[in-house]
Amino acid sequence: MRHSQVKKLVFLSGIATLVAVGLMALSIVSPKPIYLVVAMSIGQALGTASLALFLLAIVLDLQGAASREASSEGAIEAHRESVNETKPAP
Amino acid sequence: MKLVALACAACSAAIILWYLVRRPPLGRLTKVLLLGGLGLLPMVVALTGNIAGYEYTLSRPFCGSCHVMGPYVRDAEDPKSQSLAAIHSRNHRFGEQSCYVCHADYKIFGAVTTKLNGMRHLYRYISEYAGTGPDGEGGPTIRLYKPFTNDKCMQCHSTAAKKYVETHGDQLEQIRAGELSCIDCHNEVHPTALSRRPVAKKAEARP
Repeated sequence: MRHSQVKKLVFLSGIATLVAVGLMALSIVSPKPIYLVVAMSIGQALGTASLALFLLAIVLDLQGAASREASSEGAIEAHRESVNETKPAP
Repeated sequence: MKLVALACAACSAAIILWYLVRRPPLGRLTKVLLLGGLGLLPMVVALTGNIAGYEYTLSRPFCGSCHVMGPYVRDAEDPKSQSLAAIHSRNHRFGEQSCYVCHADYKIFGAVTTKLNGMRHLYRYISEYAGTGPDGEGGPTIRLYKPFTNDKCMQCHSTAAKKYVETHGDQLEQIRAGELSCIDCHNEVHPTALSRRPVAKKAEARP
């Protein structure tokens, strides 16, 4: 579930960045007043939001990896304990 | 500057499109590449784009990109015109930035207040002047938001110069104090402006 969320966030972030970069490039190629205002406001807000989304995705991904690691370590520990219990005492 | 911005925009778009099309697993290398494509490169585009955009907003073609400014810009660019706008536009020290140099606020935050007024221009252009004829004849008369102050002229014209003192002797103190405006006497600034045309003057005289 968490992994699919991360992928969705990165996808959304990519689309938002494409739009933002497109708006900013348009204002450079064709510097009309309305394009400049749109690029400097909507374009930059979208770009900032998409970077925040990407960073959130990375944090979620790292958290997921840490919890997966912890659960696998726990499973190994439990397995070891069960093996020790079944062994006959010397 | 523009080339740097466009190159960064192209690189950023290429990285994002690669990710969106291929959908590779989010390994370390993919994350680093995406950080460049989604973070660093767009930041460079924004920064260089802002600088390039700001520089362009100082230029006369930018001011002339709204049709209501047509008469002003045509006169300023007319090599035969003897108006103050044209004379100053022919001066290489003003170059392409003659509108901005004379109309920008001359204070510590002058650039900021000038750009805020620019946003006001855009709002008024869209709300009042859209579809008002090739030169905006059908719209309201264009006026400055506040009186034209002498400090804009005094950026270049020193009131202490010998020739200036000789020719302005009687009114010197009044001019320096801003009680007498430079353009009260030197009033051929924008002779072809719509506000100077007889039709506009008649409309202004009407109650």
